[in-house]
Amino acid sequence: MRNGEIRVRDAGVCYRLYREKVSTLKEAVVNRFRHLRSAEIFWAVRHVSLEIEPGEAIALVGHNGSGKSTLLKTIAGVLMPDEGEVFVQGRISPMIELGAGFDPELSGRDNIFLNGALLGFSRKQMEGKFDRIVAFSELGDFIDMPIKNYSSGMYARLGFAIAQDVEPDILIVDEVLAVGDERFQEKCKARIRDFRSAGITFCFVSHNYEAARELCPRAAVLHHGRLAFDGPIGQAWERYRELERGPAPGPQIEAS
Amino acid sequence: MTELTEGAPGAGMLTPARRSPLRELVNYRQLVAMLVIRELKVRYKRSIFGLLWTMLNPLLLMVVYTVVFSTIMRAPRRNFAIFLLSGLLPWLFFSIAILQGLHSILVNQELIRKVRVPQAVFPLSVVGSNLVNFALSFVPLLLLMAVVRQPFTTALFFLPVAMLILTVFISGVTLLFATFTVFFRDVRHLAEVALQMLMYLSPVFYDLEMLGQHDTWWFRAFRVFLQVNPLSYLLGLVRDPVYYGRLPPLSGVALASAGALAVLFIGFSVFNRLAPRHIHYL
Repeated sequence: MRNGEIRVRDAGVCYRLYREKVSTLKEAVVNRFRHLRSAEIFWAVRHVSLEIEPGEAIALVGHNGSGKSTLLKTIAGVLMPDEGEVFVQGRISPMIELGAGFDPELSGRDNIFLNGALLGFSRKQMEGKFDRIVAFSELGDFIDMPIKNYSSGMYARLGFAIAQDVEPDILIVDEVLAVGDERFQEKCKARIRDFRSAGITFCFVSHNYEAARELCPRAAVLHHGRLAFDGPIGQAWERYRELERGPAPGPQIEAS
Repeated sequence: MTELTEGAPGAGMLTPARRSPLRELVNYRQLVAMLVIRELKVRYKRSIFGLLWTMLNPLLLMVVYTVVFSTIMRAPRRNFAIFLLSGLLPWLFFSIAILQGLHSILVNQELIRKVRVPQAVFPLSVVGSNLVNFALSFVPLLLLMAVVRQPFTTALFFLPVAMLILTVFISGVTLLFATFTVFFRDVRHLAEVALQMLMYLSPVFYDLEMLGQHDTWWFRAFRVFLQVNPLSYLLGLVRDPVYYGRLPPLSGVALASAGALAVLFIGFSVFNRLAPRHIHYL
């Protein structure tokens, strides 16, 4: 495999659901041991196969609860597939949520190093990036303040500033462009376009057609955990709209 | 920049399951160090004495014990405060690391849900920060030893080895407790009670030589328990050089080292086997 390649083969991820409702004493007692017996199983993603080539940009589209985030987390390695295989080659910058792993008690400076370590960078390597990150974030003197005092926009700026500087082979972005003011959003988009032209594989989750079309020529539509469409973004969006209009039954649960 | 190519997370190997957990942990050693520093930083933030508390705390404890056993109560031994502290300090390292470490996966769940990271770093960093506390508490202990004229012997040079063996053992136990707590939150409450009991069933406030002989079945059972209790050997690693001024018996050191390594191996294997399922139970 080459760096930046993602191969998802018949992948499935399931969650075990436990009913909280208790109506009898027996249930109450049995529920104490509910971890031990098999629960109802909900497949958030199932039978999904995708091949993403290095340097490709793909948008993951689907209604809420369609399994986009679960699939993305599987690619990022946060979740393990319960079925099938997920192969990912290269360094991933998991911007699943900007600022994941920030410690609110620590200053922006300390958080840059902590976040870098979470992504596998040594202190020395982060020192080399530090000035660039601070400059990109435009936080100035705020960098030495505890980040619990940051506004949500400042928080996101710092998160993006770190994520954009870790030299990824694969960039995963989950709805992060909705934060920050318009100017900063433009700056982030420009940075992502740089990545794209540098041949970095890009996975993007968005409900915004304009944003997705701007960055990704290809899109995969997920519907109730299945891959409903994979192809050019224009057609994908039509399919997505179609599915959205159709009946939307609740999540399907299979008893085990 | 070697880490970028070979050992970088997400690089080199393919699915998470195929990565060797040990190698991965080695790649993240800097993260463990950083989490230790964070823990210490956050713990002592806004306190005037800061990290000094790690030394002040045992020092104040020592003053209390010294006063109590030299004036109020008749101590069963000379320099009884030193005797007590040489058992109590490693015990506190053991019990506090476990009680803090068993929360470590739950406390960091936000992160575990979002960033792929070897989860063992969280319990291990708790052990690390408690090791720092433990090591620093020797500064006031040695000071007190000088004050009460407890003889210093070359056996004290054994202490770093003792710390290493203790850390290996405590890491294994903490990893086990951390993963079990994810699946059964009861573990936390059980651990509190169990540790409370274990403190009295381990040679912290007494030692084997002090016990004497009673010819009752429960006393015999108690002695047998002390002989199989790993803490009997582990606490001796500190007490022997500090209080008795002698090296611990070689057989005891060998037994403690082998046991500690076995516990770490079991703890690490079980933890890594269960870790991928944590996220479903957080």
